Formats: sequence, structure tokens, C-alpha cells
Amino acid sequence: MAASTTKRWGMVIDQNRCIGCWTCAVGCKEINNEPLGFWWNRILTAAPGETTGESSSALVDPASENIDVPHGTFPDVSMAYLPVACQHCEDAPCVKVCPVGATFRDDNGTVLVDYDRCIGCRYCMAACPYGIRVFNWGEAEQPVDFTIGYGKDYRTDGRLVFTPDRPRGVVEKCTLCVERIDEGVQPFCVEVCPVGARVFGDLADPESEVSQLVDEGGAVQLLPDLGTDPRVFYLPVDRERNV
Amino acid sequence: MATRVETPPAVRPTSLGRLGRGFLVAVGLLVLWGLSAWIYQLTQGLIATGMRDVVSWGVYIFTFAFLVGLSAGGLIMASAAEVFGVTSLKPLARLGVLTAAVCVLVAAMTIIPDLGKAKRIWELFRYPNWTSPLIWDIIIILVYFAFAVVDLTVMSRRSMAPSKRAKTLRVLAYVGLPTAVLLHSITAWIFGLQISRPWWNTALLAPLFVTSAILSGTALVALAALAVRRFDGIEFSERTWTALAALMATTIAVDLFLVASDYITILWGNVPRERAALDTVLPGGSWQWVFWLEWVVGGIVPFVLLVVPRLRRNPAVLALASFLVLVGVYAFRIELVVGGMITPLLHLPPGIALGSYTPGQSSFQYFAVYHPTWVEYAILIGLLSFLTLLITLGYRWLHPVERSQPETVS
Repeated sequence: MAASTTKRWGMVIDQNRCIGCWTCAVGCKEINNEPLGFWWNRILTAAPGETTGESSSALVDPASENIDVPHGTFPDVSMAYLPVACQHCEDAPCVKVCPVGATFRDDNGTVLVDYDRCIGCRYCMAACPYGIRVFNWGEAEQPVDFTIGYGKDYRTDGRLVFTPDRPRGVVEKCTLCVERIDEGVQPFCVEVCPVGARVFGDLADPESEVSQLVDEGGAVQLLPDLGTDPRVFYLPVDRERNV
Repeated sequence: MATRVETPPAVRPTSLGRLGRGFLVAVGLLVLWGLSAWIYQLTQGLIATGMRDVVSWGVYIFTFAFLVGLSAGGLIMASAAEVFGVTSLKPLARLGVLTAAVCVLVAAMTIIPDLGKAKRIWELFRYPNWTSPLIWDIIIILVYFAFAVVDLTVMSRRSMAPSKRAKTLRVLAYVGLPTAVLLHSITAWIFGLQISRPWWNTALLAPLFVTSAILSGTALVALAALAVRRFDGIEFSERTWTALAALMATTIAVDLFLVASDYITILWGNVPRERAALDTVLPGGSWQWVFWLEWVVGGIVPFVLLVVPRLRRNPAVLALASFLVLVGVYAFRIELVVGGMITPLLHLPPGIALGSYTPGQSSFQYFAVYHPTWVEYAILIGLLSFLTLLITLGYRWLHPVERSQPETVS
């Protein structure tokens, strides 16, 4: 259950470290029993300056519709990976538009979906600027017929925020591994990242590593001009640092 | 000498006849077909539709927005006739309010097949989230429907004293006009308030919805009046037809002006994400057919048919123009919804996860695809047939058409 002291869980993703291996995305799929065709977490291929662009209107067009294709012409090529899952916004558009309050923020500010409440209107999918929500269009198909991952129901304040048996017709998304962080364990994507590109912690604690990276490390938010104030931050590719 | 417009002689529709009965049976069968398609969809889930995580709203939402718009015309027309004393439109007031009530009812029904968990629809009333424009819309839809029913009752009750009826209708009209404007504005804000979709996020959207609502609603009333004239032999005065044609021609012009203003703003600004959405619907884009339907087939063509007096006096031409107007307005709804969804803000490879899996195919979509399935078309046709059925039956029960008063010189 939720810890007694309120946290502001947040994450910093270092694009200088990310190698685009998709381990976090596949790990996420496994731990969360995501059905076939579902990806709560995707690794987008972007231009290196993508996250340093201050506004959504300054986004750079991709070099290709395929992943891993760099921008530019050889030898002047460049590329960066942009892992995108739920940004757990402070001012989340999905929370505002949900007509029945199925999408809500828990005591620690994590944005969650109540599988028992969602009516499947998909307004949240229209409202999310990051395209991270997935809908159960049909019967959920699992890749294997035995339980992997967390595999059981999890409730926050009595609300069903995770279930391995996906109901048809509801929306789902990244929970920041709420069942793990409530137990003091890091989200699975942070744990499995082979290059340590993800840092998780309490943004309310100024001494935490995430706070340090946000306050002094130059971490930025995705599409900050929209005012959604995400709790996921990115350390943009820094040429000087890499040399 | 003043005519007694307060107590117009009601005209009884002639008996149905074989053609009429056949029509009702055919429409009824289409309703059943739509209903069975919905039952099939309930067994399969929304996977039976062409929607996926990228274009996650489709035919049902186009139709919802379209039908909400259709409901405007009649009521705005009836109220405007009272408030501004447009006597030429008064004979159509009751028919207008009838179409308004039916359209908003069927619009609300259109939401049901779009829901992934239709059986949880009661939660909208149990756990309303007041920041959601969807909740505002549901409330205004209920208010609007209730209002239309009250208005229709006052208009149809024979026991009411004529002077009292006239006074009540006038008061109702002053309430009806702002309610109608609010209904269309709130429906526009479902889309227009979303910062995630630059294509929707324009302050022009509410004025556009109000305009296109008056346009399509008037076209529907014109079609209904033409049907009444054709099948029941009830004549309306020349002034009534001219007023309908003028209202449509004016609102086509205003509507296209607003759309063009939006295009120009995006083209000149050349902001990549907004351009991407516009380019999909402009000539050369993957949804360009929507542009041609909106601007030419449902825009310029009916405009010309309506402004040339020689053409619009022909009932067949007026019917064609009204039908094309409906096509144009429906195209605008497609342009709006699809344009907003087809180019996500973070449009980067590999794209958005589909939420479904087909062996041998990617589970991501970079270029959004949306092809409605037969289920969506069947439910659409079923809903439109139900609308036709309700308007026809409502017309026959309430015989809401008043003979035009002879024009008088006071």
C-alpha cells in the first residue's frame, strides 16, 4: 500500500546513455503482462535536438518512418533515442478529460487507470499529447499460456489499477510499476536498463539523484510548452560531454 | 387586417398508402440490420471496427458530431422565427423542433456503440468528472432534448389558449436559442480544447460548429418539408422556400470562410505539426477526397444551386442542394476528427502501438490508417434509418406542419 509520506515519484532518462536496445520496452511488456500488440513503452528514433526544442511546434521531422535511421548525410549523421511511456504529468490532460474519473492520480501523483471504472470512450487517448495509451480493442492475447511478470491484481485505495486479465474495451498505460514502487522497489524499466540510462526517485526530495539531475543536470521535459508538466525528464544528447 | 397566426390550421397527413408502408418497413429492416451489427460488435469488441490506437475515434464520432449539428437547425430556425419575427419560417417551426428532438436523441445513442464498456454508461451519472467536456456535453444534450420535447408539446397542445401559446413559445424561443448555441459550442470544445491535437485546438471551432449546425439543420428541415410537399401535397409559400435557400447559402459561405481562415492561418504559419494535419486533407493528401466533398460537392455546388433563383425554385434542385449540404457537413466532421488523429504530436518512428496483433505485421503504425469496417457502416446506416423512422412517425403522430398564412397587408 501507499507509503505514509507523500512522494513525488519521477524519472530521468539519459539520452546520452540510451542505446535504443528496447530492453526497457520488452521488460515492461513482460512485467506488466501486456497483450500482443501492446507497448506501454516505446523507444522512438529522434533527432539529437528533439528534447531540447522548447516547443511542440519545433519538433524535427524524422529521417525515416523506420527506427534506427539517422538524420543527415554521411559523414554528418546524428541520431538520438527517445524512450516514451506515460509522462505522469502534474497537469495531465487525460485526468482532466476522463468523464468518469477512471484515470486519476494516486497520493504520490502517479497517473493510474481504474480497470473497473473505465467506460472505454477513449477521450484520454485523444487528449494525451504523447500517444502512450493503449486500448483493449479485442480479447487480449498473451504471447505465452503461462503467467510471467507480476501476474496478479493490484489495487490502490481499493481501485483496480493493474490486472493481468485485461478486460475488453478499457484503456491502459504505464503505471510506473505502482505495485513495485509501493514496496520500495524501482520500476522494472529502470531495473532492466543495461546501460543505466534511467534514474528513478523522489522529486520532492531535493537530495535525490533525480532532483539533482533536474535542478542542476539540465534535464528537460517533453513538449514542455503544452504545460502538462511531466514527471519524466530527459537529459538531451550533449556533444561536449560525449567527446 | 391581421391574420391569426396563433392558431394555424393543422394539416393532417394523408394516409400512408402502399408506398409509405413499404418505406417504413424498409427503414425498419435497416434499423434491425444496424442493431444486429451492434450485437455482433458487442460479442467481438471494438476490434470489429477499423479503429486502432492511432485513429482511435472514427465513424461513430463523425456521426455523433454530425447528428448533434443536425439537431441545431430546426430549433434555431424555430426560435429565430419567434425572436426575430421571421414569419416566413414559422410554418416550419414545429417540423424543425421535431427534427431537433429526434436528431439529438439519436446523436446521444451514437455514443453507445463507440464505448468499449457500454454497460458502464451509468457511471457517467454516478461518477461525473466536471472538468471533462464530455460531461458538459451530456448535460447540455439532456437539457436540449428536454427543451425540444417541452417546446414541441406546447406547439402541439390544442387545449392551450392561442394567446397563451404564442407567449409561451416566445419565452421558450429566448431560452432555446442560447441553449442551441451552447450545445454546439460544447460539442466543439470536446475537440477544440485539446492541446494534444493542434488541428482541433483552435478558437474557431465553436463558431464553426454553430455555423455548420445551422447549415446542416436547415438542410434537413428543407428535405423534410420537401418530402411533406411531395407526399402530402402541402404547399408552403414561395417566401418559405426562399428563406430556407437564403439561410443555407449564407451559412455555406460563412462556414467555408471559417474553414478557409483556419487553412490560411496554418499555411502561412507553416508550423510542421499543423501543416502535417492540413496536408493530409488538402488536394494531394491521403484524405483529399474529404476536401473535395466539403468544398466542391457539398460547398460550391449547392451554393450555386441555392443562389441562382431559377435553379432553387425547382424543388428537385432544392432537394439536391440540401442533400449535398449534408454531404459537405459530414465531410467536415471527417476532416476534423481524422485530421486531428492521423498526425500524432510525437510523430516519430516506429509510431504508435496498435493495440492489436496480426501475425506477420508490425504492431506499430507510423502512417495512420483508418478503413471503417462493415460493422461501422451497418451501425451508421441503422442509426440514420432510425432517425428517418422517428422523424416520419413523429410527423405522422404530431402532424406538425402548418399551412402558410396568406400574405396580408395590414
